[in-house]
Amino acid sequence: MSGQTPLACARVRVLLESYVDQDLARDDPQRAQQVREHLAGCADCRRQHHQAASVPFRLKALTSPPPRESLTADVMKAITPARTRDRRAWTLLAPEAVLASFILWYLSGLDGLGSIASGIAGDLQGLAGWGAGSGSLPSVPPVDVLLLLALIALTAIAAYHLSILIELTPKALPTRRRA
Amino acid sequence: MSDSPRPRSIRRYGWAILIGVLAVVGILLAVADISAGNRWPNPMAQAIVGPATTSHPASAQTQTFRFDRSRVGDRLIFDFPIGGLGPLSPYQALRAFLTNGAGLVLLALAALVVFPARARSAVERLEARHGSEIALGAGLVIVMLTLAAVTLLRFTLLFLAVVPLVLLVALVAGLFGIACISLALGRLLHRRLRLPNVHPLIAALAGALVVFDLAVIPYAGVFTLAAVAMAGIGLAVVTRFGSAGGWSFVDLDW
Repeated sequence: MSGQTPLACARVRVLLESYVDQDLARDDPQRAQQVREHLAGCADCRRQHHQAASVPFRLKALTSPPPRESLTADVMKAITPARTRDRRAWTLLAPEAVLASFILWYLSGLDGLGSIASGIAGDLQGLAGWGAGSGSLPSVPPVDVLLLLALIALTAIAAYHLSILIELTPKALPTRRRA
Repeated sequence: MSDSPRPRSIRRYGWAILIGVLAVVGILLAVADISAGNRWPNPMAQAIVGPATTSHPASAQTQTFRFDRSRVGDRLIFDFPIGGLGPLSPYQALRAFLTNGAGLVLLALAALVVFPARARSAVERLEARHGSEIALGAGLVIVMLTLAAVTLLRFTLLFLAVVPLVLLVALVAGLFGIACISLALGRLLHRRLRLPNVHPLIAALAGALVVFDLAVIPYAGVFTLAAVAMAGIGLAVVTRFGSAGGWSFVDLDW
């Protein structure tokens, strides 16, 4: 026995939660000891303690964290029919085709693309030679801003298009292994 | 009702028969491709089956034959029985099969051996609903994106050195994608022809041979191969090389 005044049932029930959480034993070991002694002699309080220590009760006592601000938007996005995205995935091919045709026309067709490829190879060789100290730095060819804007627009639209196609791709299944 | 012994034994060798048939079909299609190439030259197809064959090969004075000392190919050229088309060269077709076909098969199998889990994840997503359409569409978009980006980089000096890296990534993505498509084709053959269970690499081998056969169809083969390569690049990119997590920006949003 602790030698102190025994606790009343009402007081024990107030302390039960912190006792079950082990907070009482940490903050006030003497009081925890008194609760323990009371529980040993009081069947009613023991039943309350048992209930308080059970898993469903403990779960009910847990406070749920506040939901993310974007939760509603994320859920709505996840359950939105994919038809809109499906349609956008294919309609974006039209502006891409227009831009690609314009760029091809501007570069004089496949010949222009070929000259760009050979120019890249030549400039890379020149760059390597310059790095090795055996040549001068290659010069960048002049380019029209209109062509640059068209190339950047095509790059941006294609990247956006790709992101839509990635969203449409089915997710990976959980890995299963044969026994 | 039980199967009779003969069909069961044929079924047992189903994969061997299938692979043999696919190889023979590939060689025959290559013969046709080489022969047709003489009438309507197709420079792109020459990359697969080699240059167009002539009945009178170049003389020894103009070429070195360090790698072809026997020169059997020069003796195995036959005139086409129906007028108009070029000579038949089964030896050159066999050579195309043993170089490009074997290269395709080896690279596909190597990719599957090195990245089995990623290949599985990518194939599962390819086999899902609309998986092949999405892969092909993404491949088309990536080709446009790559061409635009490379052209942009061409007009800079600072980032010019990035171009080979971009092309290398595209090449690796294409190879990985073609390997996954080969495995998916092998699995499709397994299901459709009700073949017995076999090691996945055997199925992938059959699938890679199907890809080679498609690539040597006269004239159409180049376009078919381009479509397969584009779908392969698309598959590799949309699945992030078959990673289980896929693309996610969650880590950037904290």
